[in-house]
Amino acid sequence: MAERYDLVIVGGGPAGQAAALALEGNGLAIGVIDEQLRPGGQILRQPPREFSVASWMTGKVYAPLLKQLRQFEAATGIDWLGGRSVLGLAPDAGHGFALTVSGRDGVETIRASRVLLATGCQDLAVPLPGWTLPGVYTAGGIQAFVKSQQIVPGNRIVMAGTHPLQLLIAAQIVASGGTVAAVLFAQKRRTMMRQLAGHALKAAREASALLPAGAAMALLQRHRVPVRYGESPVAILGKDRVESLRSTEREIACDAIGLCYGFVPQSALPRMAGADMIAGSRAGGWSTECDAWFRTSVAGLYAAGETTGVAGAAAARTAGTIAGTGIAIDFGLVSEEEATSRVSHARSERARHLEFADLLDTIADPSGHFPRIEAETIVCRCEDVPSATITPLLDGRSANAVKLASRCGMGLCQGRNCEPTLLRLLAGSGRTDEDNGFTARFPARPVMLGDLAAPK
Amino acid sequence: MQNADVLIVGGGLVGCATAWHLARGGAQVVLVEAGDIGMGASGQNAGSLHFQLERRFLENGEALAEQAAQTAALNRLAIDDWRRLETELGADLHVVMDGGLMVAETAEQVAILERKVARENAQGINTRLLDGDEARTLAPCLSPGILAAGFLADEGHADARSVTRAFAQAAAASGASLHSRSPVTSASRIERHFEIGFRESTVRAERLVLACGAWTPILCAKLNLHMPLYPVALQMNATERTGPRIGHLIQHVGRRLSMKQTDAGNILIGGGWPARLASDPRGAFDPAGKPVLIPASLAGNLRAAIDTAPFVETLNLIRTWTGVTAISADQLPIVGEVPSMPGCWVAGGGSAFTLGPTFARLMAQAMVGTPTPELDIVSPARFEHLNSFMG
Ligand SMILES: Cc1cc2nc3c(=O)[nH]c(=O)nc-3n(C[C@H](O)[C@H](O)[C@H](O)COP(=O)(O)OP(=O)(O)OC[C@H]3O[C@@H](n4cnc5c(N)ncnc54)[C@H](O)[C@@H]3O)c2cc1C
Ligand SMILES: Cc1cc2nc3c(=O)[nH]c(=O)nc-3n(C[C@H](O)[C@H](O)[C@H](O)COP(=O)(O)OP(=O)(O)OC[C@H]3O[C@@H](n4cnc5c(N)ncnc54)[C@H](O)[C@@H]3O)c2cc1C
Repeated sequence: MAERYDLVIVGGGPAGQAAALALEGNGLAIGVIDEQLRPGGQILRQPPREFSVASWMTGKVYAPLLKQLRQFEAATGIDWLGGRSVLGLAPDAGHGFALTVSGRDGVETIRASRVLLATGCQDLAVPLPGWTLPGVYTAGGIQAFVKSQQIVPGNRIVMAGTHPLQLLIAAQIVASGGTVAAVLFAQKRRTMMRQLAGHALKAAREASALLPAGAAMALLQRHRVPVRYGESPVAILGKDRVESLRSTEREIACDAIGLCYGFVPQSALPRMAGADMIAGSRAGGWSTECDAWFRTSVAGLYAAGETTGVAGAAAARTAGTIAGTGIAIDFGLVSEEEATSRVSHARSERARHLEFADLLDTIADPSGHFPRIEAETIVCRCEDVPSATITPLLDGRSANAVKLASRCGMGLCQGRNCEPTLLRLLAGSGRTDEDNGFTARFPARPVMLGDLAAPK
Repeated sequence: MQNADVLIVGGGLVGCATAWHLARGGAQVVLVEAGDIGMGASGQNAGSLHFQLERRFLENGEALAEQAAQTAALNRLAIDDWRRLETELGADLHVVMDGGLMVAETAEQVAILERKVARENAQGINTRLLDGDEARTLAPCLSPGILAAGFLADEGHADARSVTRAFAQAAAASGASLHSRSPVTSASRIERHFEIGFRESTVRAERLVLACGAWTPILCAKLNLHMPLYPVALQMNATERTGPRIGHLIQHVGRRLSMKQTDAGNILIGGGWPARLASDPRGAFDPAGKPVLIPASLAGNLRAAIDTAPFVETLNLIRTWTGVTAISADQLPIVGEVPSMPGCWVAGGGSAFTLGPTFARLMAQAMVGTPTPELDIVSPARFEHLNSFMG
């Protein structure tokens, strides 16, 4: 590892890899930092080497991503800095950035002239009565088990939400030998079909992207997994852990639940750096605002992939290519014209992916389908703040003011999980002032004091 | 146009507490706050109630230390004010006044501590000098490296998140009218009145209180006044929650450090470590901008904490935040009526979490003509020379 890089890329998913590959061979010192030990990102989350997993990520849609991953792993001149979390980044004495990074050997400072944030997205956390019981996961939480260790975290799992991805995850569970008791979509099937039909052209062109959902449906049918529409979770019941889910229609016995209402961009680092943000997808959250080359509003700071908006792995990959090429322009390695022609294919591919992403976003739109929150329902689980504490504070004050008054968002996760809920509550209470949500604070992940302290 | 007896600019601790005292006394009070109540320094501070001489007064020469010691009368009043506050406001503010320790690690620091204790005792502040073992008996979390500590039984801490809101609620209950999200955009003196504009309103008031913390000079400029208050940005740190380990306020005589444990169990670590102030497009310091964290401040602060109470080393840091407060040209607070502009009061600078409730009470008293000699040492009169060319 070098102490100073020309470029540090945070995130080794499809976007980060593509950007690194677009710059490979230019003589730049590039470091790619990721919390995961191995590259892949969310979609190609690789099992640790010690686990040998037979059927890791087969399937047609993954092929281009896997190919890129192999290229990335074979690339020379790119330092892979896995197993490290970026806790914060700050302007570095007038030149570039200093990243505070924690890893197995403690905390180190890594300097870079330019930084690309390709930190992906995360599940939208959705509170409902009983959601803090052990056995309740986000869809991504379940998928992480299944993908990286081939462990199914329950014997009878219910998937519930609005995002079609839950079909895929249900299929992955079944394929790994688990049992799915039901997949519940809050929206009506009719509505989903109408939305699909309305976008028929786009959908047809992107049939390959929908293929896995079709295959997933077939697999679920074969295993007689009920997939129901217009059915929402109302409460999760159980004494010490999940015992059943009560929906708008029935009670379903289960010992694990995956909630799948969509995804929000990871926004801690760009917000900490002071980059301008815009409202994220229909699910909520914040996307980093970028120009056509994925430059953020902060000089020398770039963002690509789902940090700039959730649009799927293929779109993230094209964004990485464009961002990497844009960075080459800014390093003076290529003219803007040359760069423009280099990425023309990536741009047209990207436009197609974005159309599909928009369709998916429309179909998966959780607004109007969020479960009802009761007075005692926990909104902020780090600090155990129930909605009853927050409701009286919804008098027009800002999210930061509610945080200060209630502790909502003051815990270990820095509000990553409860912020979208709180912003929905604020909007629902008629607050009209523009609200930028919580002020992002260092560190992006908790870190031991001893690791940060100055040497004795 | 609305009329008021007193218009207060700034809904921090000082503004809200002043509104409460005045409204209780029957005055018609309007308070105007640019953002939400208590979101400035009053909601960002460490919550220390410190009555021992502050380290910053001890490292800048004898003259300053002597002058600061003369604020002891204010400290004595503040101790009483804080002891009454929860009862008076009828609110749980997590006020803990179980004592504070100011520790020393070197022989040189012990000597400073000794002089400091003597100075305080002469002013009627009953600090006691403890040796290292006595200090550790009282506070077992302290490191074996601590050689001595000044102990003052009245020190402690309170929950900065709730104090200002409690003052605001009490003020509103006493009839004060509070306007949040209403930045004051104009202020002028017209004959014997002040006219203050915010949102779509203008209020005409007999008296004006500028309690806008680091923004005070900006408001003063609207009235053609100089006020030597300067914004400073500070860093604070919170650990994850842990079981009860620190009962006291812990400070350090030779290093920047304050430590305490909140009611919820987090340990708050600060002590005046700087962050970098934001600047506006013209390059001037901008108290409203988010300050930039200084990694060396963070590292130094945490090292001082670990050296003082080693158990914190393995706790997780969950948040470092920055806040902006005001210091004056001579480090002492500026509180009182501006001699060249009768009716205009300012209150800013200094440790106005600890002293804010007292400043507010004394200002309210002074406005109805009750003598308040304790405020003399902090009066803006000492900076009147700056306004002698202001017309
Ligand atoms: C649970 C889940 C399932 C998904 N399933 C699909 C799917 O089936 N199909 C699809 O098209 N899309 C899916 N997505 C979206 C998917 O994340 C993206 O399509 C794709 O992986 C985005 O690529 P990316 O490069 O932008 O980010 P990612 O692939 O998410 O990569 C970001 C990387 O940044 C790292 N990182 C983040 N923050 C830090 C930090 N502070 N320090 C160090 N490293 C950091 C992460 O460890 C991660 O490896 C899913 C997302 C989630 C959350
Ligand atoms: C990190 C930190 C730690 C600290 N620790 C301690 C401590 O432990 N103990 C202690 O005693 N002190 C401490 N202090 C200092 C203490 O917080 C302040 O002295 C005190 O809060 C000042 O209160 P205030 O009401 O004067 O100012 P503030 O709380 O800053 O309030 C001023 C208000 O004026 C408003 N305002 C500004 N411009 C306008 C306008 N144009 N119109 C309307 N309103 C306006 C602002 O929005 C703000 O709310 C600390 C300060 C910081 C930043």
